[in-house]
Amino acid sequence: MIAAVREFANRFLGRGDATITVPSFDGALKPNQKLESVETLLTCEAPEDLAVDGPNLFIADGRRLLCFNAGSASQVRSFEQPVSALCALPGGGIAVALGGREVRLYANPSAEQPRVTFAEAAFNAINALTLADDNTLIATDGSATCGVDDWARDLMELNRTGRVFRLDPGSKTVTALAQGLGHAFGACAYGNGVLVSESWRHRLALVTPGASPRSVLGHLPVYPSRLAKASGGGYWLTAFTARTQLIEFVLREPAYRRRMMAEIAPEYWVAPRLRSGISFKEPMQGAHIKTMGVIKPWAPPRSYGLVIRLNADGQPLYSLHSRVDGVNHGVVAAVEMGDDLVLIAKGPGRVLRVPLAGLAEELCS
Amino acid sequence: MRDTLTSLRYRYWPDHLLGEILSKRWTETAIPVILLLIIGLALSRSIDNFLSPASLADTARQAGEIGFIALGLALVVIVGGIDLSVGSIFALTDFCALYLLDVLGWPVPAVVVATLLCGALLGAVNGVLIGYLRLRAFITTLITLIIYRSTYDLLIQRYSNAIASAFPDIPSWDFIGGGSVFGIPTVALVYVVIAIFGHIFLTRLRPGWHITAIGGSRRSAYNSGIPVRRTIALCYVASGVLTSIAALFFASRLGTVGGDIGVGLEVIVLTATVLGGITLGGGKGSVAKSAVGVLIVLLITNGLTTMNARGGVNRMALAGILLVAAMVDIRWQKNRTRIISKVYVAPTYHALPPPPPTEIGQGGPFEQNDKLRNVELVGLGRIEAPEDVILDRHDNLYAGSRHGDIMRFLAPDYQTMEVFAHIGGQPLGMAFDRQDNLYVCIGGMGLYRITPDGTVEKATDETNRSMRSVNDDSRLRLADDLDITDDGLIFFSEATVRYEMDEWPIDGLEARGNGRIISYDTKTGATRTELRGLKFPNGIAVASDGQSILFAETFGCSIKRYWFAGAKKGKVEVVMDNLPGYPDNINLASDGNYWLALVGMRSPSLDLAWKMPGFRRRMAKRVPVDEWLFPNINTGCVVKFNEQGKILESFWDLHGENHPMITSMREHRGYLYLGGILNNRIGRYKLDNADPNFVQYDKRWGKPS
Repeated sequence: MIAAVREFANRFLGRGDATITVPSFDGALKPNQKLESVETLLTCEAPEDLAVDGPNLFIADGRRLLCFNAGSASQVRSFEQPVSALCALPGGGIAVALGGREVRLYANPSAEQPRVTFAEAAFNAINALTLADDNTLIATDGSATCGVDDWARDLMELNRTGRVFRLDPGSKTVTALAQGLGHAFGACAYGNGVLVSESWRHRLALVTPGASPRSVLGHLPVYPSRLAKASGGGYWLTAFTARTQLIEFVLREPAYRRRMMAEIAPEYWVAPRLRSGISFKEPMQGAHIKTMGVIKPWAPPRSYGLVIRLNADGQPLYSLHSRVDGVNHGVVAAVEMGDDLVLIAKGPGRVLRVPLAGLAEELCS
Repeated sequence: MRDTLTSLRYRYWPDHLLGEILSKRWTETAIPVILLLIIGLALSRSIDNFLSPASLADTARQAGEIGFIALGLALVVIVGGIDLSVGSIFALTDFCALYLLDVLGWPVPAVVVATLLCGALLGAVNGVLIGYLRLRAFITTLITLIIYRSTYDLLIQRYSNAIASAFPDIPSWDFIGGGSVFGIPTVALVYVVIAIFGHIFLTRLRPGWHITAIGGSRRSAYNSGIPVRRTIALCYVASGVLTSIAALFFASRLGTVGGDIGVGLEVIVLTATVLGGITLGGGKGSVAKSAVGVLIVLLITNGLTTMNARGGVNRMALAGILLVAAMVDIRWQKNRTRIISKVYVAPTYHALPPPPPTEIGQGGPFEQNDKLRNVELVGLGRIEAPEDVILDRHDNLYAGSRHGDIMRFLAPDYQTMEVFAHIGGQPLGMAFDRQDNLYVCIGGMGLYRITPDGTVEKATDETNRSMRSVNDDSRLRLADDLDITDDGLIFFSEATVRYEMDEWPIDGLEARGNGRIISYDTKTGATRTELRGLKFPNGIAVASDGQSILFAETFGCSIKRYWFAGAKKGKVEVVMDNLPGYPDNINLASDGNYWLALVGMRSPSLDLAWKMPGFRRRMAKRVPVDEWLFPNINTGCVVKFNEQGKILESFWDLHGENHPMITSMREHRGYLYLGGILNNRIGRYKLDNADPNFVQYDKRWGKPS
């Protein structure tokens, strides 16, 4: 009763859960335009995920699996469904998630038949695969109801149905590690647990067996996505899009959200996107007005590009940005390859390369 | 069904009035008045004969007496002080009057003058201490309260018997206290006269303004040369005099000098003052508030007395009311602007059908193209905010700038830019009249005329006030675009009467018909409102029949036609509606059709929000303006249409990189010149098959060009 009254008062006064404040890009997240000045390795139609195996960089591009080696890309194979996650296995193998519903393990990238196939009925939106220390696979599933590419609806429906699975290729069993997550999208082994990106709760959560998820890095101004281990300890955390006060507000407006989802095409929703500025039918916010021919980089981002370097404790050290006036938005995957960091900016469909040498010094100062 | 209900709810319930009423200064008086009416009604219901003439006359007598004291206290409070000694002054002057009359036997006029002087003197003690010696008003008047009261106690010990035993029978003296004219007690009449004078004094006379100014900010008043100390001192003197007037009436009515006279009077008067809405901090208050406060307090105390409440209850009630009133006063003063800004924005229901297609491949007159991609740019980075552009017959190009100038680019290469005229406000729509004067709508200022030699003259900045508007809408807030008829009538649009020019997004958020069309007669100088309730009226062009104008409603997404003469005079007809974008300026094309700028394009998310006023109202409260859902004005286009409402051609810049925003366009000798209010450039586009000799206003006025 008291809770109901408090919730009503909060809604009426715009307090508590009804506040729409978004943390600012501050400290280690101080904005720069680093992602705008990096080299584009490759432009492809629908890059989704990356995996590195020695000198080979595997790129999931729609249904195709590409291999980038020595400056050129070649198609390794293609699948009947879009690849929604990719992971290199020890010994030259590769794991792919197809359409979010099926995970296949191949002994080598061009192998005809999969070594193991996991096709649980529970799988709905497998969006990231990562290797655990005991050679099992960790898979994150964003939503139990919305497909991999339908994440904006998942956000707008306020779903909290993300799950984390452990796939054991040896026993061919699937164990659920966590459920009820706000869009699990990306994971990394961390001690005896798993560090999981929980996009809709804007945090990195630590999932350990037998305990409820614990926040490691919270209150992010972005929606975090895939994670990758960094050399020298720590992680690369990508953020596929950023939060805005308008979207936070719309998330608290059930009637508008319901009608928006029913009456408006998804690309014109008031929702975060991987790229923006394609059509004038997209929602425009006050600060987006081009004044004297310039769109302001500080305008509220409908799409954004960001990758954050975390230390071994999951705390941010520095970050690389592409701001509102940039194009390299929708960073969904980052992985180290030799002395470089390779990223996917899904918005413009680019694979980017950033030399790591001197990067920390440049961005930490 | 739900939409119908919402639409009815917002059509018939005037949400916007609440904010407009609250921002009026008279609301602060209206609230106590409403309270007074409620209390009056309640008491007349529960007490018999409450409104009988005898009861009313009695109330009026008391009200007059307390009213004088309250007037004095009001002055003191407005100037920023407080006077707690009024009760003691009242007692002392009451004694003074009765002593002079009963013991010394002075004539009545002398008694009156001497009593007033006595009151002035007692007030002057406060005045000198507080005004000149800068003592704290509260502590000073608390001390004089005690001193005066002690003096009074000493005096009545000696003289009370002498006064009580005298029964003077002087008709003029009795008339003061008990007389009445046409049934109205003298005291009430005198009070009314003095209150009217007090109102004029406070609102119309220099010393009254000085008092308010000192109360508002003592230092600023001092810095502006107001004699602060003297004015403050005189306020206390006035308070003393007014209290002594009350004492005179009281003395004449009762003729006693009991020990409890004037005890606790300051609480009654202070409650009346605060309850009436006179702020204890100073700088705000009026005679009406004081009068209303007195009436409320009197009704309550009399009502309680009639209902046999004990004296203690009575006082406790008053003290409680004072506490509540002071609290409300402080909270209101602190939050007034915040509350108003929260309730002023009142979105309404605005439904538009799905727009016609614009996508490539979908066909239709609005199908996008890239014709404007390669427009030449004039004055890139040098001109800022050219909302409208116009050319004279020598091909010189004129455009407004956000610095408040009309800039002129000289033909033929438009490389030289000079200030043609400085006005001071943002120039918007422009037109040449028969004598080559340039008429310009200036946002925030009105309609201005610039002669060919660059002299700036005001044409009009005022129209008739509408009777049904709460806000005073006589001043022009956002004159936007204009055109001139053959008879020298200038029709111009005023986009909104509720907001300033830089607040146009708020008007878009409201989506109410806040705008109007106004005519200005160049022959008589008369200004008249022609149409109101329009959704951001913008572009205006005189139609081919010379009896009507075409006008654009930006947020209405429509073009309408209004007949100002002829058989259809006064009629408004829709020419085009449900445009895919927001129409801006309209201008004549060389082939007799019209150019129309679409300043921005509709987006489904805003179209939906326009159907959900509650959503927008909450957005206005919770979300900062920079993050509001806006009309998309980054992409626009130019279309050509005819009077039948048919779109003939459209010109787009797909990516909006060269010329991001188009608010206006002007055809001139085979080129189309493009303006944009947030641009730093003017576009120039070569038209195919256009009249190479077309100069809009030369053709209009039949001049060779």
